Amino acid sequence: MLIQEQMSLEEKLAVLSDAAKYDVSCTSSGVDRKGKKGMIGNAVSAGLCHSFAADGRCISLLKILFTNQCIYDCRYCINRRSNDVMRTAFTPDEVCTLTMEFYRRNYIEGLFLSSGILHSPDYTMDLIYQALRKLRVQYRFNGYIHVKAIPGADPVIIEHVGLLADRMSVNLELPTAQGLKSLAPSKSRSRILAPMRQIQRGISTQRTEIIPYKRGQRFVPAGQSTQMIVGATPENDYQMIKVAEALYRNYDLKRVFYSAFVRVNDDSSLPALPGGPPLLREHRLYQADWLMRFYGFGADELLTEKQPHFNVLLDPKCDWALRHMELFPVEINKADYSTILRVPGIGVKSAKRIIAARKSAVLDFADLKKLGVVLKRAVYFITCRGRMMYSIKMDQSFITSQLVGEEHKKVWDMGSSDCYRQISMFDDGWLAPPPTAEDVQTAVFGQM
Amino acid sequence: MTIFQCRDSLEGILCGVYDAWTSRLGHENAALELENTGNLKMFAQYRNVEESQEKADKVIAAILRKAGRQVYEMVFRAALSREEEKADRIYRFLIYALNCGSKVADMLQIPAVYEIFRMDRNVGNEAHLLIEFARFSETKGKVLVCMVGPKNDVTILMAPHFADRLSGENWIIYDEGRRKGIVHKAEEGWMVVQTWDDTWRQKLQQGTDQEKFANLWKTFHNSIAIEERRNYVCQRGHLPLRFRPYMTEFGSGSAGL
Repeated sequence: MLIQEQMSLEEKLAVLSDAAKYDVSCTSSGVDRKGKKGMIGNAVSAGLCHSFAADGRCISLLKILFTNQCIYDCRYCINRRSNDVMRTAFTPDEVCTLTMEFYRRNYIEGLFLSSGILHSPDYTMDLIYQALRKLRVQYRFNGYIHVKAIPGADPVIIEHVGLLADRMSVNLELPTAQGLKSLAPSKSRSRILAPMRQIQRGISTQRTEIIPYKRGQRFVPAGQSTQMIVGATPENDYQMIKVAEALYRNYDLKRVFYSAFVRVNDDSSLPALPGGPPLLREHRLYQADWLMRFYGFGADELLTEKQPHFNVLLDPKCDWALRHMELFPVEINKADYSTILRVPGIGVKSAKRIIAARKSAVLDFADLKKLGVVLKRAVYFITCRGRMMYSIKMDQSFITSQLVGEEHKKVWDMGSSDCYRQISMFDDGWLAPPPTAEDVQTAVFGQM
Repeated sequence: MTIFQCRDSLEGILCGVYDAWTSRLGHENAALELENTGNLKMFAQYRNVEESQEKADKVIAAILRKAGRQVYEMVFRAALSREEEKADRIYRFLIYALNCGSKVADMLQIPAVYEIFRMDRNVGNEAHLLIEFARFSETKGKVLVCMVGPKNDVTILMAPHFADRLSGENWIIYDEGRRKGIVHKAEEGWMVVQTWDDTWRQKLQQGTDQEKFANLWKTFHNSIAIEERRNYVCQRGHLPLRFRPYMTEFGSGSAGL
């Protein structure tokens, strides 16, 4: 393993941020903290995205590895032991200077520190602890810190790190134990779940403790998160969202992130992905994740054993609604909040606005548009004052074709149905085809 | 129709509301317009609004008493909007607000309320984006300088966030278009400074040394993107092009200077 000591800070930053970029659980949300005298920084609970990279992903935190040296040999990881890549490490002072100077210039919202495993999990976790302590105590940094808990590290060190960080995360990496065994032989499910459970207990005990931690010392106030790789192993979408649901219920996770698998290593045990990373699948999983966290859906409502994959053409909410046409249409002026929230095209904000606005008026379709409802989707599932907007066949296949057409912006899909359609000068669907040469012949020679 | 012409500021508009309301012409016969905007109307009488702190305070007190703080904040932000019709819209909104009280904020089905809601949202969103996308650079005198060019007059909404975050720093946020700056002194407070020429801009351009960290940041910004997932349309959707000349990682490197 080649370890470069004499690299410039810029070269180190390039190597160690490049090595960290596949980790997606990188948000700055979950904690509101005012600025403190003598310290620099605060935290905003909604989180702030300071920039967007060329791949369209938000850059919120300074996402770096402490070192990209690693004793493990996980098949999917660019930093695995058997890869011949440039290895380097930051010093704690370099991490602190970068964080402080970037933060002052409003480039970043805080630090995201992860690391390859150097020597042992304990040793690495201790290095991270030293760096964070320096940043908080010596450099007086009061902004957001997200840190990785390293599976297998001593619970005492994790506890100490947790008091300095805002969010901690342990990566589940693969949703099933077999998947983990095949691609990350040195990691085990139980070793990953142990620190996750410890962090959860740490957060929940301080909530019930009579004498809380010393003022300003809260254990992981922004909660914990994790990530799963999508498409590296043969698990289906149903298994993924079941695992996510279990994590939200049993481990009180704030977020589960899904990372479309990018094939960085040429390894026979990894799937070939000729079409690039499975981005649509990742997108559908995030949509389902939002439905479970904010819309009150259960994993079993969205997918089943028999139908374990998301619809490619429809988002999970439309898909669910189309399978439950018996529940629709919903009367906007009477239905309760949770029912309205389940209508495609209505989100949390617009549902709340509907509830507030209908106290003082009877709402109509024009009003819904102002409240932020996406009518082109919602129109098939709602009534206002007992009427639908257009006369629509409440027929599953008809509405499906409409919604799919909407998602693909295929205007010509409309022609196949007997519903209303807009007349246009160029609608050749209405015209008889022009006579062919044979028709002309038969007409001329009287062979009708 | 009598049209009251007022200055483009919260105080100006509120004084206009006061004058129009107390003129006893009836709400449908009075309208508000900003000075030097739009075209003159036929068959309309024009009156100039005389500004005084007293009138504005009376209107603010009435809003707070009858409709509450949330409605006042809506009006405050709507008054920062760049839209020319804002004065009359605020007037129409206040007619409802002073009648209905605080629940007016939810009555989006009323066009007058919806317009204020829309302007408020627009201004709030831009302020939020600029809090994220503002980029400071450091001058030789350890002052952090940030240039912005917002559509709406949002610098005043950015100030409290940075005053809390960077309380121990001297910093300036300068709105290029309006020639207006927010100046913050370490451990003290901030104030708005309105300037009339480009001397500030020229001074702020001089001697910012941020080569080192700007280059580090550009390096980071490049290496953090995953090549296989490249998606410029998505990037543009989240980070519109109009912000980029002022941002270190896209522009010339020194906040559009």
